[in-house]
Amino acid sequence: MEYLIHIAVLVCLYGILGLSLNLVVGETGLISVAHAGFYGIGAYVTALLLVGLGMNFFLAMALGIIASGLVALLISGVISRLRGVYFLFGTIGLNIIAWSIFLNWQSVTRGPLGIPSIPRPGIWGLDLYQNLQFLFLAAASLAIVYFISVFIKKSSFGRVLNSIREDEEATQIFGYATSYYKLAIFTIGAMLAALAGALFATYITYIDPSSFTINESIFIFSTIVLGGLGSSRGAVLGPLLLVFLFEGFRFAGFPSEIAAQMRMLAYGFALVLLMLYRPKGIWGTFRI
Amino acid sequence: MDIAIQIALNALIAGAIYSLVVLGFNLLYSTSRFFDLGYGAIAIAGGYAVLYFYKLLGLELWSSIILGIFIAGILGFCIEKIIYRPLRTRKASSAVLLIASLGVLTVIQAVLAILFTSQFQTLGRGAGESRTFEIFGGAITQTQSIILITALVVMTALGLVLKYTLFGKAVKAIADDEEVASIVGINSERMIGIVFFIGSAIGGMAGIATGFDTGLQPTIGLSLLLKGVIAAIVGGIGNVYGGVLGAFLLAIIENLGAWQFSGEWKDAIAFIVLVVFLLFRPQGILPK
Repeated sequence: MEYLIHIAVLVCLYGILGLSLNLVVGETGLISVAHAGFYGIGAYVTALLLVGLGMNFFLAMALGIIASGLVALLISGVISRLRGVYFLFGTIGLNIIAWSIFLNWQSVTRGPLGIPSIPRPGIWGLDLYQNLQFLFLAAASLAIVYFISVFIKKSSFGRVLNSIREDEEATQIFGYATSYYKLAIFTIGAMLAALAGALFATYITYIDPSSFTINESIFIFSTIVLGGLGSSRGAVLGPLLLVFLFEGFRFAGFPSEIAAQMRMLAYGFALVLLMLYRPKGIWGTFRI
Repeated sequence: MDIAIQIALNALIAGAIYSLVVLGFNLLYSTSRFFDLGYGAIAIAGGYAVLYFYKLLGLELWSSIILGIFIAGILGFCIEKIIYRPLRTRKASSAVLLIASLGVLTVIQAVLAILFTSQFQTLGRGAGESRTFEIFGGAITQTQSIILITALVVMTALGLVLKYTLFGKAVKAIADDEEVASIVGINSERMIGIVFFIGSAIGGMAGIATGFDTGLQPTIGLSLLLKGVIAAIVGGIGNVYGGVLGAFLLAIIENLGAWQFSGEWKDAIAFIVLVVFLLFRPQGILPK
């Protein structure tokens, strides 16, 4: 039972990551693999504020989200001018730089040692030490992010994003400053990823740089490609399927080192096979 | 003064390895017109093949190196035939090819990690076997000088082949316009297959050189690829000599940066170079 709750929490976290990345990749057509970087910024800022200053969880989480948003805003001022594959390389670079900062800025992040004993959040005297109670928090967050993403999709803002995806130049001709729209959605995506990061840090109660590598970004990316780009339902279904698959590997008795590699192997294959046979994914609306 | 010479020598060696990467990369890019991310992993697979034959099976050095180069070439050839060709005939967008190649990269890295563990391994059998030369007060090993000479030979050979042979002219024709090339009777599918074999074999050399110079780890496939991409963009994408120029320039900046700050920031510095070039001179130093 405890184990099922653990899986459910993971599904919620990856669901948030998938939904927020889908806003950038699926709705706007920007192929980004920097998501683990923002996820990490949220996790690190929240963890440092909780451990170092003993701050209230929600305040720390809000500051983590704001920090990630600010970084995204600054960086995307530069990289939202890049197009197509160059944008992809810009985001790869972003993730590698974020990861090297987590790893090498040892006086703050403690480098490869990571940050241990991060306190679990408490609400109104009710502490969320129990995994089941934490699951409620994670599920509520997933629901909020789901509604935000559906709201964005249905708004006029979302329609501009979709038209950037279909034809950026035509959208510019209609008078939209597309780089501001790209900047805005990139920042929103980064902030939502930081929310997942804050939850992750307090759920596992320990973070280190290895959770925020470029491979993690590729994993998040492959979950939404599987679920279907441009579909909010798909962005939750994809993470659900892949998280279950990988927990299955561990359940089948592979040692954890091999299980991690099997996980990489599986999502790499998933990407190749999807591209060959069903580039739209399961519920995708957008044909890349 | 000694430090300056040692930095110059280190940059020279790194530049030689990067130029091997970029030579293969440019060759692939000029015919297939997409950023093949799987190429980095194929290069590393060449290095691991040498590790297997030379260190585990105890074969002779040169025959293992030739086998390693051959295996990298065959791997590239097969991946092109099984994955990229069906996508190309279906007129899949470059984003689909890009994502498929991201999958290839992930799969090969995971397979290498399962077969050879994700530990850091070097190809040299013993520490004392390589002789060291002194040049103006700086040190360079015999292995490093072989790497340097190989890079120069491959560059010259590739330049000559592309310029003077029928094969080179056919490759150029495909690079200009694949459809017209097939109209005048060039079997473009077959040519692209050969190009993938040669390009991946050159990549394999880069992987083997990395293995002898610094060492192998499954994850350096991506970083090797990124160095190649950065060098290609800096030098002007698709240009043989421009790529080599970019490779040496990148190596000099990286080594200066590593000396000024510290070695861990090399990747971050490389990316800053990339972003600067993409923003201010996206066509590179020597545009094609």
